[in-house]
Amino acid sequence: MAAEAKAPSLAEEYSLPPQEAPVEKAVEDKPQEAESISVTNDETPQADETATAVEVNPETSEVQEVADKSEVEDTNPAAEETNETAEEEAEEKPEIKIETAPADFRFPTTNQTRHCFTRYVEYHRCVAAKGEDAPECDKFAKYYRSLCPGEWVERWNEQRENGTFPGPL
Amino acid sequence: MILRSLECRFLTIALCDAAEPWQLGSQDAATPMMQGIIDLHHDIFFFLILILVFVSRMLVRALWHFNEQTNPIPQRIVHGTTIEIIRTIFPSVILLFIAIPSFALLYSMDGVLVDPAITIKAIGHQWYRTYEYSDYNSSDEQSLTFDSYTIPEDDPELGQSRLLEVDNRVVVPAKTHLRMIVTPADVPHSWAVPSSGVKCDAVPGRSNLTSISVQREGVYYGQCSEICGTNHAFTPIVVEAVTLKDYADWVSNQLILQTN
Repeated sequence: MAAEAKAPSLAEEYSLPPQEAPVEKAVEDKPQEAESISVTNDETPQADETATAVEVNPETSEVQEVADKSEVEDTNPAAEETNETAEEEAEEKPEIKIETAPADFRFPTTNQTRHCFTRYVEYHRCVAAKGEDAPECDKFAKYYRSLCPGEWVERWNEQRENGTFPGPL
Repeated sequence: MILRSLECRFLTIALCDAAEPWQLGSQDAATPMMQGIIDLHHDIFFFLILILVFVSRMLVRALWHFNEQTNPIPQRIVHGTTIEIIRTIFPSVILLFIAIPSFALLYSMDGVLVDPAITIKAIGHQWYRTYEYSDYNSSDEQSLTFDSYTIPEDDPELGQSRLLEVDNRVVVPAKTHLRMIVTPADVPHSWAVPSSGVKCDAVPGRSNLTSISVQREGVYYGQCSEICGTNHAFTPIVVEAVTLKDYADWVSNQLILQTN
């Protein structure tokens, strides 16, 4: 019984279900981030088993037993971990969000030079209007950092300090 | 029997993701864009062969019958309305069958207005590339940036391709919509990865955009495709597609390394 139950789970592990709808992608990205946050030890193979078990759950009810076993197995190493170790690992791996500047309908062409420039100008206008460290301006900062090459930003920053920046700040 | 089994194993194990000696066809597609390009090529090739056979037959027939001994008196046909109409409309229909899928593919490749999940900047230099992942910056100074140089011709490890390997690969997640921004620092370059169906020019003073959605994990090779000087042939591109989780781990590790 156990052997028969494991065989399809192994096969299903390697076969990824086709995911084409963008809505599904957005939904699935979030649980993956949740998994990465909850599982501290990325190197532990048991963590991988948990991830695969979670993926298998919505498809087959028989595999829930395997999922329960893996959950039980994960509880023990969690208890064994020291708080200091967990804190150290939390500090070592900074959390990252998989998001970037959105597409702008003002710049639908392949040439994104003006898109980068406009985002930069928008950020500095926001800073001029709302002051440094305004939370509303962080969005624009992320946008222009994603779109603009580093050398361009350095050159523009230098021009702003010298007062020779050609944009409408 | 043996040849069939070998062929099946070979086809399932090794996909053509790098240029091979004497290669005639395209590399295997890793993105829907490249798959569309290959399909369009096959469609056009069908019409191409039909036209080739038809025109060749007419040419050979004309040469054959233009013979003084067999046909001493040449035909004096000057004009024919019916054949004129036929040979005007029929090629137009053929061109229509070629143009419709071609334009459909061209405009579907232009995925500029799709919101991407990740932005990667490829900055061309003579003769290497700099890649920037700036989605994870919190200031202008902090940046996940690395240079990608070719591995010299006399310094490859066992199994590495000659003049195609680099020391630092571009790591991208599979099944994720990416935005590639391509710009040079000195002279025109071109960022081209055949398996992804991408060829994007790097023009000085401009940042060009292209979209990629890699569908399978693997390593894909490309080369600079805009003549950029003496070492133009020694500026390869290597893209490694991994799972989203592995990509997140890679970014975290890179940020740690950059910080220290």
